[in-house]
Amino acid sequence: MLSLLLKSIRSRIIPTSLVTISLMASMVLLLSIERIQQGAEEGFNQSISGVDAIIGPRSSSLELVLYTVFHIGRPTNNITTKTIDDIRQRNDIDWIVPIALGDSHKDFRVVATESNYFEHIKYANNKSLTLSKGKVFSDLSEVVLGADVAEKLNYIVGSKIQITHGSTESTSNKHDDFLFEVSGILNKTGTPIDQAVFLDLKGYELLHLGWKSGRKVFSLDKIDLSTIPKEDLNPKTLTAAFVGLKSKLTLFNFTKSIREYPNEAISAVIPGIALSELWSIVGLVDKGFQLLSWIIIAISLIAMITLIIASLENRKHEMTIYRANGASPRFLSGMVVYEALFIGLVAIFGAIILVSIVTYFATSQLNSTLGISPAFKWISFGEVKVFSIILLAGVLSSLIPAIMVFRKNLHQTLN
Amino acid sequence: MLKATGLKYRYQYGNTIQFPEIEIERGQRLLISGFSGCGKTTLLSLIAGTLKLQDGDITFDKHEYSKMSSILLDKFRADHIGYIFQTLNLIPFLSVSENIALGIKFSSTRKSKVNDLSQEVVRLITSLGLEEEILNTPIDHLSVGQQQRAAVARALLGMPDLILADEPTSALDNDTTKKFLREVMNTFDPSHQAIIMVSHDLSIASYFDTVIDFNKHNA
Repeated sequence: MLSLLLKSIRSRIIPTSLVTISLMASMVLLLSIERIQQGAEEGFNQSISGVDAIIGPRSSSLELVLYTVFHIGRPTNNITTKTIDDIRQRNDIDWIVPIALGDSHKDFRVVATESNYFEHIKYANNKSLTLSKGKVFSDLSEVVLGADVAEKLNYIVGSKIQITHGSTESTSNKHDDFLFEVSGILNKTGTPIDQAVFLDLKGYELLHLGWKSGRKVFSLDKIDLSTIPKEDLNPKTLTAAFVGLKSKLTLFNFTKSIREYPNEAISAVIPGIALSELWSIVGLVDKGFQLLSWIIIAISLIAMITLIIASLENRKHEMTIYRANGASPRFLSGMVVYEALFIGLVAIFGAIILVSIVTYFATSQLNSTLGISPAFKWISFGEVKVFSIILLAGVLSSLIPAIMVFRKNLHQTLN
Repeated sequence: MLKATGLKYRYQYGNTIQFPEIEIERGQRLLISGFSGCGKTTLLSLIAGTLKLQDGDITFDKHEYSKMSSILLDKFRADHIGYIFQTLNLIPFLSVSENIALGIKFSSTRKSKVNDLSQEVVRLITSLGLEEEILNTPIDHLSVGQQQRAAVARALLGMPDLILADEPTSALDNDTTKKFLREVMNTFDPSHQAIIMVSHDLSIASYFDTVIDFNKHNA
């Protein structure tokens, strides 16, 4: 039977290939949607990596993640540097990176931090931040730019920039008495880091020396900066701090003890958990993706059934000859079922190979342009399930022309 | 061997034909003749079991067609009848030998009568005047006459009890028709087989021992 089937397929190689290719195209679409959906979710969940906990003023964990990781919204309170210094002394802490937020540059948020930020804060699957140009800031007048900031504002290493007080650009609240120089530009990460301007906490403190209650009271122009004592540039308050623990096993104890810190109302969130919570809120996109996937599955099914019925309609004469020579219904249904299986499997394997190759080669491109890093994998259990449904539907639909051959008088087709 | 009694067939959009009683024994050669549209092919299809009986019955070696399902009739036909169709019904993507072998592919009864398939195919095609070299040629590379012979070889393979032939000479000229019929009759084994041929051409009547003329019957 197989030899007859292969010869029959070879004799219809062009229409059969077209059927297979169009089926493969819908499967590629289906797989791509699946992979992009998973990649987007993973990308979102991996907006920050390598951080065990984020400490901030007591508020909802989502709020804390929104302004520390996504730079959206603003903190209602700050925490004192003393508290952070206390926590720094704990034995279970491996490292701590404090940040201060609040200023901006041309609508890009400013993150004031320490230079070890670039060493400890990771993204995606524990990827380190790297510089495409220049070096990390080493002086309080230097800034490091996220990739999007440099690209959109055409900045290069050595460009001079001014920082704006607050998050909205206006002439009245510019820190126009101090210029920063770009010391380095980060490589693209596909995370909110790309849209941030990083400067030294001491530089940030310096900017605010002449400010009180959100208003400038005196200008730095009139002051010899070298006369300012170093300790005056140590920030009094901070927005939050990223923490790395020596052992992940102590994570829950750590967050509990931070919540119970007696001297200040602070809290600690675990980024992974908070991001998953956040994704479930913004999960409308996810649901949209799922709906799209099911629509594509339905279209693929209709396409496959139509194509198989149409292609087998042409084979009715061939099958009638087999029947006239005594072929059993089992033989005839076997011929069509094996053909549908063959077409379906070739389309599925073709689609998997194609999507896997594209995923493999396009990951870095997708990551840098969309911030999506689809994981390289051959096939997931969910995909196997969907493909099985498609294959089964294809096989069942292929039986229709076989049944038609048996219901029709042989006489009509043969003479 | 075969007896058809009280056969009547009503066409979907036409008249009803009542067929004469037909009885044929092994060794007999029956020609059914008549003008186009008189129901010759319908009768042959009823005997072959490719068309469902409406009235009357056909008994073939004690098997009654009216009691058999279409699937059983398919099996019965494969085991006992070699059918040469007017439109040949060869499969274009198979070679000559593969098309001929289809005749016994689905019948263990006919398969058991063939010891060596390739030898038997060669014997049949050479006795039908074809060269052995064409066996591996795709069927659509052959002339109509050659295809006709391949279709006959398929029907004869495995020594079926009854050979049915529907206008097998309609596409052939006079000389080729005579040569073709001579070859068919030489290949036919009168001790085991019977043949029923349908043709509008009465000039070939001399090759048969019984002739039923539908023109006379219907008149």
